Amino acid sequence: MQKVIETLLIGLSTGSIYALMSLALVLVWRSTRVVNFAQAGQAMLSTYIGFEIASRSEIFWLGLVFAIAAGALVGAGVDYFFMRVLFKHATSGPAAVVAPVIATLGLLGLIRSIVGLTWGGEFKSIEAPASTDGFSVGDGTIPFSDLDVLIIATVSIILIAVAYIFQRTNLGLALRASAYAPEIAQLAGIRTARTRTIGWSIAGAVGGVAGMLVTSNNFLSPYSLDLLLVFGFIAAVIGGLESMVGSVIGALVLGIGLTFILNYVGTSLVFIGGFSVLILVLLIKPDGIMAKGKARRA
Amino acid sequence: MRKKIAIFILIGWVLLIIGDRVDELRVYQGAQMAMYTIALASIVLLTGYSGQVSLGNGAMMAVGGYGAALTLNNLGTPIWFAFLMAIVTASLFGALLGAAAARVSGPYLAGTTLALAVGLPAIANQFAFLGGEPGLFFDVGFPPERFGDEFTQYKWFFWIASFIALIALFITSNILSSRFGRTWRAIRGNSLAAELCGVHSSRMKVLAFTVSSGLAGLAGAVLAMTISLVAPGAYGLALSFALVTGAVLAGISSLPGVVLGAIILVFIPEISVALADRLGDADKLNNYLPGLIVSVLLILSVIFTPNGPGENLRKHLHKKPAH
Repeated sequence: MQKVIETLLIGLSTGSIYALMSLALVLVWRSTRVVNFAQAGQAMLSTYIGFEIASRSEIFWLGLVFAIAAGALVGAGVDYFFMRVLFKHATSGPAAVVAPVIATLGLLGLIRSIVGLTWGGEFKSIEAPASTDGFSVGDGTIPFSDLDVLIIATVSIILIAVAYIFQRTNLGLALRASAYAPEIAQLAGIRTARTRTIGWSIAGAVGGVAGMLVTSNNFLSPYSLDLLLVFGFIAAVIGGLESMVGSVIGALVLGIGLTFILNYVGTSLVFIGGFSVLILVLLIKPDGIMAKGKARRA
Repeated sequence: MRKKIAIFILIGWVLLIIGDRVDELRVYQGAQMAMYTIALASIVLLTGYSGQVSLGNGAMMAVGGYGAALTLNNLGTPIWFAFLMAIVTASLFGALLGAAAARVSGPYLAGTTLALAVGLPAIANQFAFLGGEPGLFFDVGFPPERFGDEFTQYKWFFWIASFIALIALFITSNILSSRFGRTWRAIRGNSLAAELCGVHSSRMKVLAFTVSSGLAGLAGAVLAMTISLVAPGAYGLALSFALVTGAVLAGISSLPGVVLGAIILVFIPEISVALADRLGDADKLNNYLPGLIVSVLLILSVIFTPNGPGENLRKHLHKKPAH
C-alpha cells in the first residue's frame, strides 16, 4: 500500500512537469495550428541560460526567473522572426500545409546546434533548490522528497497564473478570441498577430519552467529534453490538443501511469508504455478525453 | 513506359562506368547517395504527394534495417531476400502505425513518428534480439569471385545500392503517376473534394504511409549494408532531420529532385569537416556543425522555396508573356 501511495506522489510530480510541456504545446497549437516541435529546443535554450545564472549566483530561483524570461523572449522571437515570415511566404503549392511543422523541426535542429556549439555536449547539472532525500515514513524513507513538493507547488503556481491570465484578463480574452475565431477577433479590434506572438511567449516561458524543473533532479544536455517533448506531446494528444485543462489532466494521468510502470515493471518499458498510450488514444479516442462530440476544426 | 525503362537502363550504365573511374571514397559516397535517393523518395511520396509529414523517417529506416539483418542473420537467406524482408517489415510496421496516426488528420503522424525516432534507442535496448546499443551485424558478403581481385567491397556495395535505388525509383515513379499518385495529390489539395469524388481519404493516407515506410525500410537496409551494422545510433533524429532537409531542398514533390537532395546530403559532412578544420576547435564543431548547416538550410528553404528551387524559376518564366 505504501508503495502505491509513493508511486502516486512521484507520478504527480513527474506528471506536473509533463503538464507544463503539454500546456506549452497546446497554447501554440490553439493559436497557430502548429505543433511546435521546436518547443524542446526553446525550453533547452532557456534552461541553459537558467543553468548559467543558477550556477554563477548559486540561487536556483534566480536561474528560474531568467529561464522564464529567456523562454518568453525566445518564444516571441520564434513567432516574430520565423513563423510570421513563413506564413507570408509559404502560402501555396504542395508544401504550404507541411511547411510550418517542418520549420519547427528546423528550428529544433538550429537551437540544438547553437546550444551544442556554445555549451558543448557534456552533461550539466543544476543544484536542486531543495533536498532530494525522501521523507521518512515510519522507520523507512520514501523516494518522494522536498524537491517533489517544490516541483508540484511551482507547477501549481504557474498553472494558476496561466489560468488567471486566460480567464480573468483582457489579454486572456484576446488570446482566446484570436485562437477561436481570428477574423472576428480582428474585426473586434484585436491585433491578432501581436496576440499570437504573446501566446508564443507565454508558451515559451512555461516551457522554460518545465526545462528547469526537469533538470533540477536530472542532467542537462542538448538532447535531454527530447523525451520531455515526446511525453508532453502524448499528454496533449490525450487532452485532445485543443483543451488546456485536458492537457494538464492528460499529463498527470500519463505521469502517474508511467511512474507505475517504472516502479512495478522497470525503467526500460517506460518509453514503450508512453508510446502505447499514444497509439491507443489515437485508435480509440483521437479527439482526446475532453472532446464534446463537436467536429474537430483542424 | 518503354522510354522510361530505357532511361533507367541508360542511367544504370552510366553509373557503372562512373563507378569504375573514381576512387574508393567516391564509390562509397555513391552507395550513400543511392541510399539517400530511396529514403528521399519515401518522403516525396508521403509529404510531397499525400501531404502528410513524418519527422521520424530514420526510425522507419531502422525498422527495415533490423528486418533485413534479422532475416539474414537468423535464416541465412540470400541477400535479395533480406532486402525484400526490409520492405515487408517496414511496410507492416508502417501500416500498423499508420492505422493509428495517419488515419486522423492533424499533426498526429508527425508527432508519433518523432516520438518513435526519439525512443528508438530505448526500444532497441528493450528487446534483446535487437542487440541493444551496439546493434546487429549486417554482412552481405564479399563480391562474387568472377568479378576479379580488382573489384573492391565498396564497389560491390555501390553496385547493389545503385541497382536497388534504380528499381525503387522506377517503381515509385510509376506509383506516383498511377491512380494512387493522383488520388494522393487530390487528398493533399482538398480532402473534402476528394472524398466527394468517392475517395476514401483516410484509407488512402494510411496506404501512402505504408508504401512510404516500405521505401524507407529498403533505404534502411541499404544503409545497414554500407556500414555493415544496424544500430540505433545510425538511425537517430539527426538522420530524420537530414532526410526532411534533403527532400525540402530538392523540392518536396519532385521525384527527380531526390538525386539533387541525395548529393547535397552526402556532401554536407564533407563541407562541414572542411569548415571545422578551418575554424579550429574541431571537437565541438565536428559534433554540431553538420546539424547547424542542415537546420539553416532547412529553415531557409522552407521559408523561401517551400515548393523546391524549381518553382521560383517557373514563376519567373511565367511572368514574362511570350509575345
